[in-house]
Amino acid sequence: MKPKPLAIVALVALVASACSSSAATAGPKVVTLGVDLPLSGAETPNGQPTLDGVQLAVDENPVAGYTVKVVAKDDALNGKHDPQTGATNVGQLITDSSVFAVVGPFNSNVAQAEIPKSNDAGLIQCSPANTNPGLTKGAAGLALRGSHPDKIAYVRVATTDDIQGQAGADIAYNVAGAKTAYIVDDTETYGKGLADQFETTFTKLGGTVVGHDGVGASGQADYTALLTAAKAKNPAFVYFGGVTATGGGLLRKQMVQAGMGSIPFGGGDGISDGSAATASSFLNVAGADGDANTYMTVAAVHDIPDAAKFAASYKAKYGSEPGAYSASGYACAQIFLQALAAKGSDREAVRAYVTNTSSTFTTVLGNITFDANGDTSQHVISDYKFDPTTKDWKYFEQKDFTSGVTTTAAP
Amino acid sequence: MDAGILTQQTINALTIGAMYALIALGYTMVYGIIELINFAHGDVFMVGSFATLWLLATFGVEGTINDPARLVIVLIAMFAFAMVTMGLVGVVIERFAYRPLRRAPRLAPLITAIGVSFILQNLIQATYSTADFNIPQVIDPQAGVSFTMPTFNVGGFAVTSSAVTASWVHLFIVVLAVAMMVALQLFVRRTRLGRAMRSTAIDREAAQLMGVDINTTIALTFFIGSALAGAAGVAWALNYGHTKFDIGFQAGLKSFTAAVLGGIGNTTGAAIGGFLIAFVEVFSSQLGYARWSEAIVFSILILVLVFKPTGIMGQQLAERA
Amino acid sequence: MNAPRLPVLRSDSAARQWFAGLPSSRTGQFFGNHQSLSVIVGMSIATAILPFIVLLPPFSGFGNQTDFVDGFAQAGVWVLLAIGLNVVVGLAGLLDLGYAAFFAIGAYTYAYGASPFSGNHIPFWPMLLVGAAVAAMFGLLLGAPTLRLRGDYLAIVTLGFGEIVPVVFNNSDQYTNGTNGITALYQPIIPFTSTSFGFGNPVPYYLTVAAIIAIAMALLYRLQDSRLGRAWMAVREDELAAASMGINTVTTKLLAFAIGASTSGLAGVYLSSKLAIVSPTQFGFTVSFTVLAMVVLGGMGNIWGVAAGAFVIYEIQSQGLKQLDGFVGSWFPNGLPVVGHVEFLNYQYLLYGLALVGMMLLRPEGLFPSRRRRAELHDVDDSAAANEELVEP
Repeated sequence: MKPKPLAIVALVALVASACSSSAATAGPKVVTLGVDLPLSGAETPNGQPTLDGVQLAVDENPVAGYTVKVVAKDDALNGKHDPQTGATNVGQLITDSSVFAVVGPFNSNVAQAEIPKSNDAGLIQCSPANTNPGLTKGAAGLALRGSHPDKIAYVRVATTDDIQGQAGADIAYNVAGAKTAYIVDDTETYGKGLADQFETTFTKLGGTVVGHDGVGASGQADYTALLTAAKAKNPAFVYFGGVTATGGGLLRKQMVQAGMGSIPFGGGDGISDGSAATASSFLNVAGADGDANTYMTVAAVHDIPDAAKFAASYKAKYGSEPGAYSASGYACAQIFLQALAAKGSDREAVRAYVTNTSSTFTTVLGNITFDANGDTSQHVISDYKFDPTTKDWKYFEQKDFTSGVTTTAAP
Repeated sequence: MDAGILTQQTINALTIGAMYALIALGYTMVYGIIELINFAHGDVFMVGSFATLWLLATFGVEGTINDPARLVIVLIAMFAFAMVTMGLVGVVIERFAYRPLRRAPRLAPLITAIGVSFILQNLIQATYSTADFNIPQVIDPQAGVSFTMPTFNVGGFAVTSSAVTASWVHLFIVVLAVAMMVALQLFVRRTRLGRAMRSTAIDREAAQLMGVDINTTIALTFFIGSALAGAAGVAWALNYGHTKFDIGFQAGLKSFTAAVLGGIGNTTGAAIGGFLIAFVEVFSSQLGYARWSEAIVFSILILVLVFKPTGIMGQQLAERA
Repeated sequence: MNAPRLPVLRSDSAARQWFAGLPSSRTGQFFGNHQSLSVIVGMSIATAILPFIVLLPPFSGFGNQTDFVDGFAQAGVWVLLAIGLNVVVGLAGLLDLGYAAFFAIGAYTYAYGASPFSGNHIPFWPMLLVGAAVAAMFGLLLGAPTLRLRGDYLAIVTLGFGEIVPVVFNNSDQYTNGTNGITALYQPIIPFTSTSFGFGNPVPYYLTVAAIIAIAMALLYRLQDSRLGRAWMAVREDELAAASMGINTVTTKLLAFAIGASTSGLAGVYLSSKLAIVSPTQFGFTVSFTVLAMVVLGGMGNIWGVAAGAFVIYEIQSQGLKQLDGFVGSWFPNGLPVVGHVEFLNYQYLLYGLALVGMMLLRPEGLFPSRRRRAELHDVDDSAAANEELVEP
């Protein structure tokens, strides 16, 4: 039976009117905030809470005239963060014209593959977690942004390792009064960078580093041999460059078992992941005996106005405590949303506004401005020590390391 | 020279070696009987430690147990549970993933084994998440015997000694592992089932002709090997009080290296290999090369195999035409 | 007395005809006789068509054309790795579990040749050959101590090598910049111009890798049919018999390692020029295993089968599995019927493992097996059929 011509015309008209009607309504403009984080396999505890922080920021901070969608890309291949995959993801975000900014990546070597691309395309990236100085500073940083050296497209809210490592050395030498230290790093970019900086600064302050060794593969759990060797050198402080997942908690726990529990232990924000009650946090894994006499640094100003409120709303939405970088993810998203509100969704406009050294952003981490390299101009490190009564980290001082380690404490 | 440190490191090495040896035995037994590198074996060990976690949590065991009678009961329960359940896991894996591929070329079951490894890891990840888990250490890890080694001075060569602590956990693990290895050897050499296993390993068809039930024998081999991995999981839990979904790969890799080093298919060799690898690791750390320990272990493996291509205890198997 | 000779690939044999995939027609024979030419023609056609196939649904649902082409340019890396490992594992029967080591060596060779860190700036095109040569040399170095080893001992030694190399690169700060890797590698220049490939456009990379693959495959087909190729297959099937036939098993095996390693050298140079960085964590056991799985699942021993298998598996792993959430979400916005909302991203590993086990149980010969392999695995008792294909790879 031949289809009736009239029916066809009616159908076409209906479809046409439906299409045109959706175009006719003004509606808020749909823009996309891209996210590139490791979201699968062993990396899930790193990436997923950070992504949740970004989504929370988008939900809580609407921008008039825009509907902001979050598109998340996973840069883990076979469960491990992969620069190749990250580069591909950024490529995809670049070709998607509704993407106006990207939050990510999490890992420094993924950033190394992504920065040249986003710089070439002029799409701004904000990393919540990269701490390797070579991504922005010095010749290495300059080389990464070869396409447009003066128009940077990469900023980060995390303080670089060269600053945090100094804080660690300061704690060991000035606060704990140790003149000798043994350093352990996890042979990864963050941990090793931190440990190397600690070594340089500790030696500069006048201390002696009696040993510096690395613990390798993930899944390794036995540090008894390393600790036996370390114990023989009588260190007055043990510093760990790395995160809980690469062995921080276990190392401290086994220190106690090896009879080294009375030696103070310090680490960076890699072990700042919750109180002793939080599952798989450093304090939790290290055990009650290990927690005593431990120090930690956080690359942020201590008195953050909205910290408790952030934690509460995160918990309300996701049912768990915020992850170590959830607040940083939130902050990156806030920065981009503020740029969107101020300048619209044009990529270059957003990029220029964010990287302008006189732009100040109000975020859950405090006020943030970026320097000419894209690093946060905030160099204050907050120091924490374990408090046995609350079984959590307790803040005791903060210092500004803009001009090195001998700066006096900021109020 | 500090004899105390050397002794302490030796104790450390024996403990780690015991665990590697237990896992290596499973690798070597399975290889001996069906010539398969069972990559999933390391993950069976990991699941064994999670089984221990589950058992202790279910029965409300929170920490160190001081009452010796209760401690013994709990230990027996932990080992029995982990060994039996892991043995069954091994049998199930063999039945569904490896048996259909018995006639396939070598690579197919190898790929399958890695697939099973992924599956096990992901199942634990889905059930428990990727976090670190604390397991109550029912034997107090700090309780033990402290002593110093004798010091002396021979013509300018001074031997000092710092304190050595031999904790009960370490001793328990080493003694237990050795006991299990001896028991395994007795089983394999003195019992009918053991004889069936050996004959199947030597010549499957001839064994069949002699009335050996191949399927049951192979299943039994997997059961025992996986049970030993389960025991290693319990030992791990006792010693470190910690588990995580990815401990299987590293430990499995090292144990497999141990099995090869000792001569794959040879149970005594696996035990020797396990201790040898542990010693290499421990003394790499002692000398300050912990970050190189993996490279050192494998370099030694390659060196040994260059000079002794079938491993330390391996014999030349007849070339099958 | 006629000494038994190795069977010869006659031009009209079933082997050639099967390769062409056509019944014994003239065209089939033409392609069978001119394998290298047909590889180049086939690759050219595939390279030209692929970017346009992805404009059609259902592919268009997964991404836009530029993204796909970039994905293909990445997939090319894995294809190169797979055809190289195929030489070692598929043709010569040497189980290599540490293949990523040569990949790392190729990548770092390029970093030495063309980076601010090293201070050298050798152009990309000659570096391809240098990278292949250096990797081949290391293939020989690795192969040498393994000559006396039986199958699975060889596997563990290669596995060990695969673990040693990244550790060395990770810890040698002075030579390799350690864990931070080497950055700002120089990108290739379009020949006869001075334009760099750049970061925005994947097309130059896509064409480059397609050309490299075509040439490599053509050469490998020639090798496969040569004396060396037949020697590999003889050693694979029965080393003792091969030695008795006068084949020098030492050089045969060493050449297998060397030639197999050379393509991963090519892949390493290409990838590091594309990413402009090299980092020691990129080359772990997972990479070695993935390439091995691609070879086995693709159809071990069959060069184009392995290439196609690598391509398909890479696309599924990197695009399919990752987009699965979105894809399923568009069909079932309210979650799947029984299990509700499933975050496929979390179960990638599980699905991958199940797929591996499933494939091996159902089709252990791989997706595109050589005929002999399929005969081996499905007609175990039909030895007559297997014997007909005496020289099939």
